[in-house]
Amino acid sequence: MKVKIKSWTGVATWRWVANDDSCGICRMPFDGCCSDCRLPGDDCPLVWGQCSHCFHIHCIMKWLQSQQLHQQCPMCRQEWKFKE
Amino acid sequence: MAAGKQCDSKQQWEVIKKSFFIEGNLSDISDGEDDLALVIRLVQQLGAGQLVLDLALDAIWVALRQSIVPKFWSNFVIYNSQRCGKDDDPGEGSVEVMSRVATAISELYDSAVSFLPQIHRCEMLCEHSGAKFEECIPGGMMEHFKLHLRATLHSQMPTSFTNLLHKFYSAAFKVFYHAEVGNQVEESDETTDEAMQCGGCDAATDACHCQAITNTFCQVNRQLLELDLLERLAGDIISSLLLSVITDHVSATCRDSYDQSRISQLEKWVENVVIGWLEVVYCGGRGQLSSADSAIQTMVANNLNQTYMTALYHTYTTTRIDQLFNIVIEYPESQPALEDIRECLDRTHLRNHLVESLRSAIQTRLLHPGVNTTDVLHAYISAIKALRVLDPKGVLLELVSEPVRQYLRGREDTVRYIVTSLTDESCSELSEELLVAAPLVLDDSHSDDDNMDFWETWTPDPRTADIISMLVNIYGSKDVFITEYRTILADRILSQFSYDTEREIRYLEHLKCEVMVKDVADSKRINSSINSDENPRREKQKFPVSCMILSAQFWPSFKEERLQLPEEVMKELDTYTEAFQDLKGNRTLNWKPHLGQVQVEIELKNRTLNLTVTPTQATVIYHFQERSRWSIGDLSTITQENFPCPCQGVLQEVESDVFVLVEGEELGDKGHTATVGVSQPDIAPPAIEEDEAESVMASAQDQREEELQVFWSYIVGMLTNLDSLPLERIHAMLKMFVQGSVECSPQELRAFLDRKVRQHQLIFTNGLYKLPKN
Repeated sequence: MKVKIKSWTGVATWRWVANDDSCGICRMPFDGCCSDCRLPGDDCPLVWGQCSHCFHIHCIMKWLQSQQLHQQCPMCRQEWKFKE
Repeated sequence: MAAGKQCDSKQQWEVIKKSFFIEGNLSDISDGEDDLALVIRLVQQLGAGQLVLDLALDAIWVALRQSIVPKFWSNFVIYNSQRCGKDDDPGEGSVEVMSRVATAISELYDSAVSFLPQIHRCEMLCEHSGAKFEECIPGGMMEHFKLHLRATLHSQMPTSFTNLLHKFYSAAFKVFYHAEVGNQVEESDETTDEAMQCGGCDAATDACHCQAITNTFCQVNRQLLELDLLERLAGDIISSLLLSVITDHVSATCRDSYDQSRISQLEKWVENVVIGWLEVVYCGGRGQLSSADSAIQTMVANNLNQTYMTALYHTYTTTRIDQLFNIVIEYPESQPALEDIRECLDRTHLRNHLVESLRSAIQTRLLHPGVNTTDVLHAYISAIKALRVLDPKGVLLELVSEPVRQYLRGREDTVRYIVTSLTDESCSELSEELLVAAPLVLDDSHSDDDNMDFWETWTPDPRTADIISMLVNIYGSKDVFITEYRTILADRILSQFSYDTEREIRYLEHLKCEVMVKDVADSKRINSSINSDENPRREKQKFPVSCMILSAQFWPSFKEERLQLPEEVMKELDTYTEAFQDLKGNRTLNWKPHLGQVQVEIELKNRTLNLTVTPTQATVIYHFQERSRWSIGDLSTITQENFPCPCQGVLQEVESDVFVLVEGEELGDKGHTATVGVSQPDIAPPAIEEDEAESVMASAQDQREEELQVFWSYIVGMLTNLDSLPLERIHAMLKMFVQGSVECSPQELRAFLDRKVRQHQLIFTNGLYKLPKN
């Protein structure tokens, strides 16, 4: 007997490859979305800083805009620079 | 002289007595104006005006009291005693009643009229002698007389009179009604009705008394009217007769048909028949209205008209309210009836009655265990729609539907049914409602609450009567509902894999699960991009892989299963994962190996099977390539799957829990073959029926169970320390220890503990739970 698989339709869940489960700013899971968004993933992506902390992009942008003098990572207080 | 004078005065007294019939016989009233003038002068001379007047009037009253009125009533008393003892006797025909009443009344009328000259004399006397009668009565002597007549009649009225008069008037009404209706439908009715008997007087057609009855009737009314007795004697009877006629007519008209508006038709009927007849009674016929007293005209036109119209609305509304449950159930057809009710509700004060009556109808006819949840829900939906017609503000709906909601909350299968019917295309009612319904909008009307300029015209905000919200609101919140819906939607998506989301999108826009739908659409895009020809990995691929990529946070939790897929498959899936990672930086996939759909081609010795199977089935059959005989235990070790499902008709259970591959066609001969689709394997890939029905998602209840499981270790701890506890104590302590994490009602806890008792993990005695001793 020979079994030939002609096509395989699977089911998977996606997740961000990140060193934490939830965003340090909004406390929502990375795989969810920030409090302003309704759709996760492409519509509410994550960004990484050079300090290797990551946040929902909307969350960190909001945070950075609220800082007048120094743009710091809310977790480690280092200067925030987007990881290339 | 003295004797002569005395004699003279005696004579004078005789003359006076004779002239005013003091102690006299009423029958020999003589009429002489000259004579009267003399007598009055005589009375004036004697200065006895007041005395004579009093005596004269008294004589009249006595006559009324002692002869005329008793005689009048005796007509009816005789009637009464004759009828006594034979209640079921049909009694006199309408004609006899008519003539009896007519005779009695015309007799009364005649005797009353015979008093007129006497009254006239008294009036003259008053005028000339300055004598006075009781002043408190407005109107002249004539009014005074009529008043006495009425009072005397009333004081001696026998009970049977009302019955008789009622008969009299209903007979007359029947004749009138027949004529009135007959005029309108003459052509159609002629042959059937006229042939046998007259519809008016129930007599044979050739001996119809209708005309006679009408004549007598008019005469009686005229006489009563002239004596001012009509309203007094017959007013109540007439109005009660008409009210019962209205009631009969309304209930006949409204019986079991809700699909037509009746109210204008009924209004016209009342105008024609009821008011028309009143005109006949009070004004002696329709044509003579102009000649009748103008006061009566106005009374008939305004007062009575209004009275009977109000009665009509009241009767109509009451009748409809009694039928309201049926009307509601038959909603789209019964729209006209509902509009009628709405119109009438504004003119009557029956709102509360409506609410009470509908509530109790629902209570007795709908909310009992004999009715399917489906039917309750259908009724609920109809009620929402119907009451929306009745009262766009939704206040009625709120009042009526509360018990239904409460009841539905108590039924276990409500949610599932609602959700299924929302999504099931065959059950169009609800799904269509979903499509047309405006998205649930937050009410922002409170924004202008501060505007106090128009506080006088303020009305309460309309209550939402959107069907979907009403259904969802059965549970007070959307949570329960959406959890269940997500479960069902997940099942649907994962069992169809059709990527056709148009319909689902519409549902979900209303139910706020759009992420799930977006996942499906995104998956479609990602699949086509990964599987496109430009993708370099494609060449190495043994078979195409596609994937439903889900956002875990927005889906109900999955049943955890660790199926170990064959090496070959794992490799392909990994390739797919890499492609995904390239496409979406920083993201990766967690496969749910047991979910999905696989197309396999199985080459056997003498045939080829094309099947669509689950990953588990595919894995099992895949392993039979290496060995043709497997035991369940070995398979489980390899696949990590607890219950591999042997199926497809290619495996055979040769001994318990051991399966072999069947290559040839000689199935069915030995042992029992495992399943379906063997006989016509090549016609179509037979879908695997087994286990398909089982939900891949953990149902809401399973999830809840898992949440409650958190409590279990606490409970075990408690019972170890304190030996045994009642339910309330356990609940109270849990509340203290596990504050805030999971809400749990005592009922739920009891159910949970009872399950534990059934699993022998707990013992329940004397109302106390304790741990079993090991």
